[in-house]
Amino acid sequence: MNQGRSANGVGASLPRREDRRHLDGRGQFVADIKLPGTMEVAFVRSPHAHARIRGIAVPPAAQGRVFAAADLPQIRPIRVVSQASGVKSPPWPPLATDKVRYVGEAVAACVAASRAEAEDLAAAVAVDYEVLPAVVDAPREMRASAALVHEGWGDNLFTERVVAGGDIDAAARAAAVTVTREYRMNRQSGSPLEGRAVLAYRDHRLDETVVYASTQTPHTLRVALAEFLGIEERRLRVVAPDVGGGFGPKARLYPEEIVLAALANVLDHPVRWIEDRSEHLTTAAHTRDHHYKVTAYADGRGRLLGIDCEIVVDAGAYGLWPQGPYQEANMAARCLPGPYLVPHYRARTYTVATNKAPLGPYRGVGRPGACFAVERTIDEIARAVGRDPVEVRAENMIPPERMPYASVTGMHYDNGDYAASVRLCAELLDLPAVRERQRRGEPDGRLVGVGFASFTEQTAHGAAEFAARGASVIPGFESCTARMLTDGSLVLMVGIQSHGQGLETTLSQIAAEELGIDPARVSVRHGDTESTAFGFGTFASRSMVMSGGAVARASRMLRDKLLRIGAHLLQCDAAELRCADGMVLGPHGSVSFAEIGKVAHLRMDALPPGTEPLLDATATYEPGISTGVFSYATHGAVVAVDPETGFVELLDFAVAEDCGTMVNPMLVEAQIRGGVAQGIGTALYEEIPYDAAGQPLAVTFADYLLPGAGEVPPIKIGHLHTPATATEYGMKGMGEGGAVAPPAAIANAVRDALAGLGAEVNETPLTPQRVKAAIAAAA
Amino acid sequence: MLRSMKAAAVDYARPASLGEAIALLARGDVEARPLAGGQSLVAMMNLRLAAPDLLVDIARLPELAESDEDDASVTLGACVTHAAIEDGRVPDPSRGLMPHVAASLAYRAIRNRGTLGGSLALADPAAEWPAVVAALDGAVVATGPQGERVIPAADFVTGLYETRLAPGEIVARLRLPKLSPAARWGYVKLARKAGEFALSLAVAVRDPARGLARIVIGAADGPPLVIDGEFDEARTRAAIDARGFDAFRGGLHAAAALRAARQARP
Amino acid sequence: MTALSFTVNGAGVADEVAPRTSLADYLRERRNLTGTHLGCEHGVCGACTVLIDGEPARACLTLAVVCDGREIRTIEGFAGDRIMTALRDSFHRRHGLQCGFCTPAMLITAHDLIRRGRAGSEAEIRAGLAGNLCRCTGYTNIVAAIAEAAKAVAS
Repeated sequence: MNQGRSANGVGASLPRREDRRHLDGRGQFVADIKLPGTMEVAFVRSPHAHARIRGIAVPPAAQGRVFAAADLPQIRPIRVVSQASGVKSPPWPPLATDKVRYVGEAVAACVAASRAEAEDLAAAVAVDYEVLPAVVDAPREMRASAALVHEGWGDNLFTERVVAGGDIDAAARAAAVTVTREYRMNRQSGSPLEGRAVLAYRDHRLDETVVYASTQTPHTLRVALAEFLGIEERRLRVVAPDVGGGFGPKARLYPEEIVLAALANVLDHPVRWIEDRSEHLTTAAHTRDHHYKVTAYADGRGRLLGIDCEIVVDAGAYGLWPQGPYQEANMAARCLPGPYLVPHYRARTYTVATNKAPLGPYRGVGRPGACFAVERTIDEIARAVGRDPVEVRAENMIPPERMPYASVTGMHYDNGDYAASVRLCAELLDLPAVRERQRRGEPDGRLVGVGFASFTEQTAHGAAEFAARGASVIPGFESCTARMLTDGSLVLMVGIQSHGQGLETTLSQIAAEELGIDPARVSVRHGDTESTAFGFGTFASRSMVMSGGAVARASRMLRDKLLRIGAHLLQCDAAELRCADGMVLGPHGSVSFAEIGKVAHLRMDALPPGTEPLLDATATYEPGISTGVFSYATHGAVVAVDPETGFVELLDFAVAEDCGTMVNPMLVEAQIRGGVAQGIGTALYEEIPYDAAGQPLAVTFADYLLPGAGEVPPIKIGHLHTPATATEYGMKGMGEGGAVAPPAAIANAVRDALAGLGAEVNETPLTPQRVKAAIAAAA
Repeated sequence: MLRSMKAAAVDYARPASLGEAIALLARGDVEARPLAGGQSLVAMMNLRLAAPDLLVDIARLPELAESDEDDASVTLGACVTHAAIEDGRVPDPSRGLMPHVAASLAYRAIRNRGTLGGSLALADPAAEWPAVVAALDGAVVATGPQGERVIPAADFVTGLYETRLAPGEIVARLRLPKLSPAARWGYVKLARKAGEFALSLAVAVRDPARGLARIVIGAADGPPLVIDGEFDEARTRAAIDARGFDAFRGGLHAAAALRAARQARP
Repeated sequence: MTALSFTVNGAGVADEVAPRTSLADYLRERRNLTGTHLGCEHGVCGACTVLIDGEPARACLTLAVVCDGREIRTIEGFAGDRIMTALRDSFHRRHGLQCGFCTPAMLITAHDLIRRGRAGSEAEIRAGLAGNLCRCTGYTNIVAAIAEAAKAVAS
């Protein structure tokens, strides 16, 4: 889509400008920021999953340095407001008041000169707990339990909802084949390499509280801090500096952020909380934790007639602001039909409160679980009718000629050739060669299998979509202020927050595309409420489309003004002029952006009559379709399973994807690979089990296994290109997709490998224990 | 359970001699622990799973650093690092087994600091060295207030994080008989990802010239399981079952042992 | 407090530290060398990797006091280093970093692999990176960047 204004525009695999500081070790993460007089905070946290707090005893020497809820009365409980009906939203005091509801819930903040001393202090605080039974089994305890998570509720349900279309009973009656399975995607952690972090202080000159936070959403964090501290927003500044990975868990408000801001207002010095790994694994948003019961109805060829399912989401004890836990089940239910023609559908969903850490978004959110459930089921349908899962999958897909297609769950797929992605993926893996290898057998006795999984990814959805979900904070637009300075250099101030996505580079590529300016002359400012107009941040695979769209619009507004001023300076018609190479070019001459910049700021006498000074343009953007533009992909995995030990090795992995126009293909491929690595983590390694008392059992990296370089194979990537019709340049969001399908593809591959033994593993992660148990169960 | 991040307060001493170190470790009034590489101890201290009063730094004591060899055996100082073994910077009695084991132990940065003696003394149930030195029929030379004594490696570990070291004793060096030129070994480590602690590991050594045929199973939730004699699958399985593992772990141990034995076959 | 004197990035340092202070915290808080990052503080993630007497080590598991008399090198101390320059260049061209949090440690580990001649194949590089976790990239570009830098250095 490069329109030739700049070779560094849309489509260029430009190396990133953000690299320099990180390669030199000069990145600036929250913990790297030094303010004189900063004191460190450690939290007293509940060791119990469910307990009443009878009393908090602070040693006399620590008075004034330990803050419980009663010491910070200005803090209001966090409350998620949903516009949807029939949802329960519990108040969540950032420091526990009468009860604790999950292991790790913060009870008091301790302030000391060093983190070590703050931990010493925390160890000296004695909290008197009356332990209560813990709710840990979401499917079993959703309606009743020995002690409810929230006493006034009458049950443990945040919400239950049915998503349905067509006539599922008719599908059941017409079915030649019925497949019923249960699936489980176990609880895990997003676990970015940098944990959460907050540094807060009072700026007396500006009369504002400054909060540096490792967050994906600085503007909405300011909204939240204002609301829950009772402060005007103009007296708060939130800055997300360099953020060491987010992936979703950092796109939610945390109690610690409120407490640190409150402490900064109360104490006369900066305060800092740098989360440790154990805190992150225990108390930062947990993720996945879905249970599925799926019954699929098909004809004798394996064509889907309908799907009937139950989805239970174990949402933990509280709702994370702003969206709460409600969207997880809703999204899973709406995405479960996947890329398939499913005329009849019913999903009964239950979002259950338990005495575990609150559940939040993580790359893919509800989609990985839904993909796991439907893609495993498609394979079982294929086996039931004796056909190749690759063919059954492709035949069930919505064909391009049916696009745009409104699914039975109200997803409006825009365009794409879903079946082509299946064929391309099989090609990338060289499926015939894999089948041949399977026939030959392995000398070491391992069993080779291949499996596929397909999905669609709704991205850049706008206001109407979020409103339909009942959200009261609707991330339906992004903003950009484009400011050209007197020397012709450009600053883009945007409301997203780049934390690895390379937006400091790619947004400058868009400016290059629209303005013909060298990206090296463009600075991108993001993450600071002080210097950017309101925006929602980076999550939901939205930034390139939304922020890119806003940058494009603002750049075009600037371009029009540059042409207007240029025309005046060149004494010609604006229609004869174009912007390229940092200049306004015409048939009879050119004038540089720097010259125009001087005129617009320093020499306004030379401006055309009626043209105001400055070269500032602010634009917002939302795509033409509010229901989102849909990327899609098929993933394929080749595994070798050791039937003696249950160990699974990934031999090969391929992704055939379509995200429309790619602004920076090198970055797009890297996002796919990073997502796949996380999907492999979900598929084979990552889990936070809870015991019957509600104790989390994986609290360090010794037990919580992240994939390393030896666990992630080289990933083959193939692209299809179906540009979106409703976005700038035809872009579609794609950041999350890589993490959606690997668990399903790998589970299908293991199923294929163990087909001779009849073993299935329908739970992630596919640990050696679970694989061995499946083999034993099938014997 | 939540863990902390920063260690509790501790005192530190760096004695100039082994004798001075032993005297400090023998103090009854404080909990003193030897600090060698610290790769396990400091991690435990950071998590506040260990909170000694005094750290006695033995990492630079020359008495613990030296390695030696003669025709029949190799002696490795307790403070020899895993990396030194990996790189072949110290004599190897095992015809490549020990460097091979070292290369897959944790990660290089850990191996550069962590020590053989430290690993043996901690006796983490999933650690590699206790099983390897038992398979090689080595001997631990311990030193303490009562002087030196020799403990056969096969008996050294007595339980989870428990060894035959008496209070105040540390590992001084390890004496390992050299494998004969015709000896063969096998090593299998079953772990879910590279560098991780093993779910099972098996070391097989066959040295007919010395009458040694032994399989040692590590990651055995206690002392390594030593099985002498030419490998016999049924006998190995019975020994594994006698330890009472669950079906999964028992199966892993049996598979590891079988595969290690196969590697060691002539 | 215990006396401590050692070299950091070529400069002599004399100081006093509480024994429980990790080398990582010492470097970050007392020396303002914040390029060394903390991701777990129990030795698994590798984000804190520095060189002690030329060998990679976990700064989170090394007490500052044991470094008395040692030479410490952090990511800030590689100016003019031929291997590091090649690595920085290849990481940039091959997009070997996203959020940047693991990057300084990744570079130091890669430097060690190349210096020891252990970056000859993809398998070798992947094995050598086992102790450095990255949550963003999926490792492919990191491995390619290291392989490329190793070739550039060799030629």
